[in-house]
Amino acid sequence: MQDIKRLIEDSREMSRRSFFSIAGWGAFTVGSAIALWESLGPPPVGKTGVDGSGGFLNPNVLYEDPAAFKAGLPTEYALGSTTVLTDKRVVINRDPNGFYAISLICTHLGCTPRYFSDVTSDLVTQGISGIRDPDTRQVANKANPILPGFKCPCHGSRYFRDAINFFGPAPRPMDRVSVELGRDGRLLIDRSVVVDRNFRLKA
Amino acid sequence: MKVLGAAWDELYSVMTQMVQGLFRHGLPLTDKIAARTALTNFFLHIHPVRVRRSWIRMSYTLCLGGLSFFLFIVLTVTGLYLMFYYVPSVEHAYQDMYDLKFVVTFGGVIRNMHRWAAHAMVITVWLHVARVFYTGAYKKPREFNWAIGTTLLLITLLLSFTGYLLPWDQLSIWAITVGTNMARYAPIAGPYTRYLMLGGKVVGANALLRFYVAHVVGLPLVAFLLMVVHFWRVRKDGFSGGL
Repeated sequence: MQDIKRLIEDSREMSRRSFFSIAGWGAFTVGSAIALWESLGPPPVGKTGVDGSGGFLNPNVLYEDPAAFKAGLPTEYALGSTTVLTDKRVVINRDPNGFYAISLICTHLGCTPRYFSDVTSDLVTQGISGIRDPDTRQVANKANPILPGFKCPCHGSRYFRDAINFFGPAPRPMDRVSVELGRDGRLLIDRSVVVDRNFRLKA
Repeated sequence: MKVLGAAWDELYSVMTQMVQGLFRHGLPLTDKIAARTALTNFFLHIHPVRVRRSWIRMSYTLCLGGLSFFLFIVLTVTGLYLMFYYVPSVEHAYQDMYDLKFVVTFGGVIRNMHRWAAHAMVITVWLHVARVFYTGAYKKPREFNWAIGTTLLLITLLLSFTGYLLPWDQLSIWAITVGTNMARYAPIAGPYTRYLMLGGKVVGANALLRFYVAHVVGLPLVAFLLMVVHFWRVRKDGFSGGL
């Protein structure tokens, strides 16, 4: 600090030496700040990443699996079925009132929950009551202990078949993602578009 | 005969000069010679010229800092060996790890030395921090070294974390998924930090390469520099143990 103060005081009647010193260190500081920004600048905006440009360490283009994919004809899915597309990390449920897709990413810390035909009976046996799906109004109790759903292998979060969390550390239901009917009549899933919990594709 | 004798004398003096050039101080027969050797030798300068018996009481330091440094050296050497066979790509990483275990001569020994030393180093560094804390050795005038030490603890944990992804098995991938999602929970900078760490949105090829670069170059380099300062400050601040 003392040196900087003296440098500034000296600069009132600035010698050539202190002028170049200030100019040099100033250029170095500004250059370093710019270099830091160009390295670590914020990531590109937009879901494709092409419409923006981030710092050097934030890739502008990702060669990851595309968010949207085709999932076959609607007739391939039986009424009331639950189909897990493991590699895509998506679940397609078909109910009497339509299709919906679940992004199979645990809302706790991002692992992939696994489908089980029974995720409740062991809890009912332990005496845990009040296991109730608010959307389907299904209840797991002593009379009817078995409900299907998902269990996360990482920290034991549990979800009903419709992705609503009911046990473990998961803070909220898994995301529902967009399902559309493509022009070729096949289901088109877009994992980057999160839709409302009431969304159904009539088909 | 005379010529041969002169040549021999010449050769002898050159040899003497070379030996004296390498061993400059002779045997440390007196305290003075020992002190001068310790002061002027690069490799010995890390040792104090004089050591009080109370400073090297094992029951005080428990050798934890030294053990941590020893493990760091073990990890550097075995890590260098592993780099000859391991390629940090999605196609090769897991297979290379298996080759090291089952195909490469002594590969299993090297890999396990690296693995166990890594686990041990996390333990010894934590215990070292605990020892310094419980003996109050972080207090004035050693606050600066305490700050460097806590940074070294953080780097040790980051080295452990980055190394965990490299076998590229299910355990690694989901552990890093969980770990980087924890980073995402941080306010404001969370999602940015995760994107920067992974170089993408999921644990994939970019993440593997980034963790590899951080594990074998970035973090060890910073750790080494901080260790140099850490040891220098131990020498300058003196021992905290009984006087």
